[in-house]
Amino acid sequence: MTHHQEGALTGYRILDLTDSKGAYCTRLLADLGADVIKIESPQGDMGRSIPPFFNDDPHPEKSLFFIYRNASKRGITLNIETEQGQNLLKKMAEKADVLVENFGPGYMDDMGLGYEDLKKINPNLVMTRFTEFGTDGPYKNYKGSNIVDFALSGVMITSGYPGKAPTLLPGMPAYDAASLITIVEIIAALYVRPSIGSGQKIDASVHEIARTGLYPWSVPIYSHSLTPGGPVPMPESRLGDSIYPVYPTKDGYIRVIALTPRQWQALVKTLGSPEVLSLPEWESFLYRIGNSQDLFAIMLEFTTQFTQMELWEKGYAEGVPISPIYDIPTFINSPDASARKFFTKVNHPVIGEGLYPGPPYKWTVTQPTIKCGAPLLGQHNEEIYCKELGLAKEDLVILRSAGVI
Amino acid sequence: MARTALQGIIVLDLGTGVATPDGTRLLAELGATVIKIESSKNLDFVRTIAAEKNSSAGFNETNRNKLSIGVDLSTEKGKNLVRKLVKIADVFAENQRGGVAKNLGFDYESVRKIKPDIVYISSQGFGGGGPHADYPAYGPMLSAGSGMLSIWKHPDDPYPVGSNSPLPDHMASKQAAVAMMAALDYKRRTGKGQYIDMAQTEVAASLIGESYLEYTMNNKVPQPKGNRCPYAAPHGAYPCTGMDNWVAISVFTDEEWHSFVKAVGHPEWAEDARFASLTSRLKNVDELDRLISEWTKTRDAWDIQDLLQKARVPAGVVQRAPDTMKDPQIAHDKALVELEHPIVGKRLYPNVALKLSETPAVASKPAPLLGQHTDEICRTYLHMSDSEIRNLKTEGVLESPDIQQK
Repeated sequence: MTHHQEGALTGYRILDLTDSKGAYCTRLLADLGADVIKIESPQGDMGRSIPPFFNDDPHPEKSLFFIYRNASKRGITLNIETEQGQNLLKKMAEKADVLVENFGPGYMDDMGLGYEDLKKINPNLVMTRFTEFGTDGPYKNYKGSNIVDFALSGVMITSGYPGKAPTLLPGMPAYDAASLITIVEIIAALYVRPSIGSGQKIDASVHEIARTGLYPWSVPIYSHSLTPGGPVPMPESRLGDSIYPVYPTKDGYIRVIALTPRQWQALVKTLGSPEVLSLPEWESFLYRIGNSQDLFAIMLEFTTQFTQMELWEKGYAEGVPISPIYDIPTFINSPDASARKFFTKVNHPVIGEGLYPGPPYKWTVTQPTIKCGAPLLGQHNEEIYCKELGLAKEDLVILRSAGVI
Repeated sequence: MARTALQGIIVLDLGTGVATPDGTRLLAELGATVIKIESSKNLDFVRTIAAEKNSSAGFNETNRNKLSIGVDLSTEKGKNLVRKLVKIADVFAENQRGGVAKNLGFDYESVRKIKPDIVYISSQGFGGGGPHADYPAYGPMLSAGSGMLSIWKHPDDPYPVGSNSPLPDHMASKQAAVAMMAALDYKRRTGKGQYIDMAQTEVAASLIGESYLEYTMNNKVPQPKGNRCPYAAPHGAYPCTGMDNWVAISVFTDEEWHSFVKAVGHPEWAEDARFASLTSRLKNVDELDRLISEWTKTRDAWDIQDLLQKARVPAGVVQRAPDTMKDPQIAHDKALVELEHPIVGKRLYPNVALKLSETPAVASKPAPLLGQHTDEICRTYLHMSDSEIRNLKTEGVLESPDIQQK
């Protein structure tokens, strides 16, 4: 008998009608123990065409992007634009705890599957709707994308080199930030459900909540620096390399956090107290920011005498936070990721076994886990339609040929 | 008034900076009573990066809707007061440097002796259990230490510099909130609490999992793409009029491409063999970006957003704070809120982002002054008399705001 680790959310069933923009939301719920059923159109989620691909083979079952973001889920196909498809979804909604969708304003209502419709079938349902720009307002019909939503979030302007184009953060930052906030709401709705005796509706606009998700400080910092009648504050720019400088070492780059005078003194000590760095003007954080190019040129000579690890450890001993800049393989093989067994083996029916980043935490009672590889298109049709909904195997043939599944 | 989702829940916040305090803020917005445990001797790090400990924009954003008790944890009497709070608490959250909570006597083992079913979350930069468990860590180090920073740059940048915002701190804090909520629901269903040990580097890594699979499955070291996208062109941030103003544009489908060329007044681009298909646009993307930049740089970013969105092409201003403050959709959504803080006065913050139909989030309240609720907490939750409170203040165990309020 295989042992199934109980998760914190074991026992909840989630219908996942998201595409690649909401996949991370339901993925985390699945890792936490919920039974997530990914529902794709018979043509398959567009996320299946997003690179990178296993062995660079652009095959719908080999998108590493799709595979990572849909692991731990089961998968079925269903065309909810057909009447039979809508009925099947309603049947599944009867016993579901949560439904998550990101079709865009009004789509589910048009299908007769809006919250008002589904609430009648299952008042306990927690229905979650992701939109790019909300369901109402001047941008209601605007189109978003990964880079556009990140730009609008107010954090892209801070990212990269001054003078060059602001730089996109890898991954799906605005969508994932919105997903994280939405998961908190979904679990809160489940938490309170027995007390209020019903489910509820959750609305998430990526444009509205991505700044809270990614970096909510832009507006408060600007607002705090405004004095009535005083000068307008300097426009926010890209100061990553002067506030949190990066320096080369013998074997790669490091990042240094020297914000306080004590941290700066510790940094100078870490580098062997060279005279040129002991000049009093360097003690001022603002002076260092203003002269970061000169400082870089001076620092080079000293930082390149050490390895990343030497500076990381010496910095710790002296009291200045330093971090190596790892590349992807080095983090995978790092002593911390290894000690924590962060990378975990997952088997996928097509691409086989591989190491995936696991959940970012260790729990003493209900350890979240990647339960299984991402589903193949329609992999669990028989399991769910026949075993759980009671359809006959022959029905599946009919539904398939009618374009319903 | 409708009940809130976390009505009656008590959260003790021994956090600093962002990684857990921004997470407990979400719980406060869901209706939990979140008590920040702090003192002048051991200030939240963000309180120290401002002119005065109550005037930090970062602190005042992160700690909205919380109560603050000013209590000196280096004294035995102070520890005893917090132990009494632990007895009535549901959640304990900390992200002090590794080992600090233990030295104070508030690590999980100590806390669960007082409250066996506590949900306890601890977050460190590199996580517990590894050789760097006790190393201090700030957000910009975690993108560096996880591999994320190595691919966060333009291909022609000499090395990555990330951002002056502490990314991915605010995503780690949301992960912490997810964990606290899931553990609370498990506790509701089973009566069991537990300990959660989060690593902020791992949060960063889990946001770009596909890049790790590129290495573990394909044995390729992922390379930075900057603003380029292997399945869209154009795709980037383009310069506009004014100083350091940019607009992000992305074109995925042929339909969007044809709308785009018409909207920008260059229908001939669609006929040009170099740009006729996505494949050819990707092959000639440098030249494409050059032409588009020529067009954008004499135009206003907001006008371009408006023009392209009307043509059904995804485009958006690369916003900074003043842009957000005039964004008509942000205004329509009431996504910013003005709060009056007793020291800094009226300032703008992102509004509560939680939209639950039946258990609405609580309205934003300003962050507490250090020790603002010391008396209230001692009276309400610890049932102490005014003279007891006064005596402990005289002894320096408890503190209240020492400055004149506006």
